[in-house]
Amino acid sequence: MPTPTLDAIDLSDREFWGAPPDQRHAVFDLLRRESPFAFFAEPVIPYIEPGAGYHAVTRYADVEAISCRPALFASGSGAVSIADMPPDLNEFYGSLISMDDPRHGKIRRIVAKAFTPRVLEKLVGNVQAVADDVVALARQKAGGGDGSIDVVADLAAPIPLRVICDMMGIPDDDRAMVLKQSNVILSGGDPELIEDEEYAVTAFLQAGEALARLMTRLAAERRSRPADDLTTALVTTEVDGERLTSQEIASFFILLLVAGNETTRNAISQGVLALSEHPAERDRWAADPGLTRTAVEEIVRWTSPITWMRRTATQDVELSGRSFPAGSKFLLFYGAANRDPAVFADPHRLDLARDPNPHVGFGSRGPHFCLGAHLARREIGVAFRAFAEQLPDLEVSGEPARLQSSFVNGLKRLPARLTGPR
Amino acid sequence: MTRVVVDRERCMSSGICEMEAPEVFELDDDGVLQVRQPADVSQVATAVRACPTGALALVD
Ligand code: HEM
Ligand code: SF4
Repeated sequence: MPTPTLDAIDLSDREFWGAPPDQRHAVFDLLRRESPFAFFAEPVIPYIEPGAGYHAVTRYADVEAISCRPALFASGSGAVSIADMPPDLNEFYGSLISMDDPRHGKIRRIVAKAFTPRVLEKLVGNVQAVADDVVALARQKAGGGDGSIDVVADLAAPIPLRVICDMMGIPDDDRAMVLKQSNVILSGGDPELIEDEEYAVTAFLQAGEALARLMTRLAAERRSRPADDLTTALVTTEVDGERLTSQEIASFFILLLVAGNETTRNAISQGVLALSEHPAERDRWAADPGLTRTAVEEIVRWTSPITWMRRTATQDVELSGRSFPAGSKFLLFYGAANRDPAVFADPHRLDLARDPNPHVGFGSRGPHFCLGAHLARREIGVAFRAFAEQLPDLEVSGEPARLQSSFVNGLKRLPARLTGPR
Repeated sequence: MTRVVVDRERCMSSGICEMEAPEVFELDDDGVLQVRQPADVSQVATAVRACPTGALALVD
């Protein structure tokens, strides 16, 4: 592997994001050491005016310093895109995650009521049943053919999708559409998922509209006929006498699909890949269910499924002795912070017993910290225990196809085989 | 005696503390954090550190 040099690095180059993780980590190690606020021009996206550029924040301490001061480093002009979002996209994708206080605090407290540990506890049986069912279907598929499966499509994708659809009460008939549209939204413009880059923005809008229509319909149904699901909780919950509008519910559903579904999928698929590359760690976890708590954290640290979130300086600010003018954009590179040797001993080693493990895979300190962190932890733990117990013969059998996206560290496919009892 | 206190302005009902120390913290049906003072505050040290908004503190 060629040694990277500072001037050759361009984080806005799409090619960089299709490169294997080792190469990307070598680049982030260099940036963290030599240029912890490296500045880059913005990537060119059709029909969107590129802004002035952004700083890539790669040190753990700086990521935390920005994340925990939301009044100075705001999310409102866009947390999930480098360019400021055009208002019509903001309508669908600008919920919660791209809001600031006081609105953020209000909406967050409404949705938090539907995501407490006690509510989650009721779901545990559900997550287990979903994982068991998905594993059985994968076994069936392998048995009906030559033993091949795709870890992404057959194991990693269906678990979080079914859990979220069950939570929201999405009818079975609508689920294929939900999967397809959420893929478009999360493609980050990957050419394989959006055929024509020119139409990326249109495809995004159409996907958002289709999902919003479904949710608006469902929200109306639950208002007249409440059920035991998250949609009902969302239409009925009040904070300070205020309820979510249908539009807000639709936006929030899209956020849940994107934030909750694809992230967990990629943690699972890349976790399977990481374990196949570290068979001693895989065997250790298989033999010791007690390792699950720390192992799940290490998988999230290792895979860091969300590569960055953006913050924008609301005034002239100072960070680690450097000054930045108001309006400066910062991308918080979580995967880079998660390999910062100042915080993690031997950061490039996968250690399923790592403890403490204060990773920022779910975001760093601050009000936007992942709403679904406990749900994701539960899903990942249940999924890997089900794989260890019911698919001990699972073997990765080919190269992964990586998503070319700077925002989501993801796999499109991971060929594997179930070799059967030997 | 050392006690654990919640800053209500900062707490956004994430439930991270409850996952760490369920005997001490519990979000009620309204999403409001209820605290049962622990006999031994060392029990909640991890939860205090883990709170993403820095809403928890130990005071004498
Ligand atoms: C391994 C899986 C997951 C990862 C790596 C992940 C990561 C993240 C990150 C990095 C943030 C942004 C934090 C910030 O801006 O400071 C976030 C926010 C969020 N996540 Fe997750 N997430 C995961 C699973 C989930 C699940 C399962 C759900 C829900 C079902 C979910 C819902 C959300 C929501 C709603 C937000 C926005 C919170 C806000 O802005 O207040 N996430 N997540
Ligand atoms: S961890 Fe902090 S923000 Fe979350 S519920 Fe506990 S006190 Fe509130």
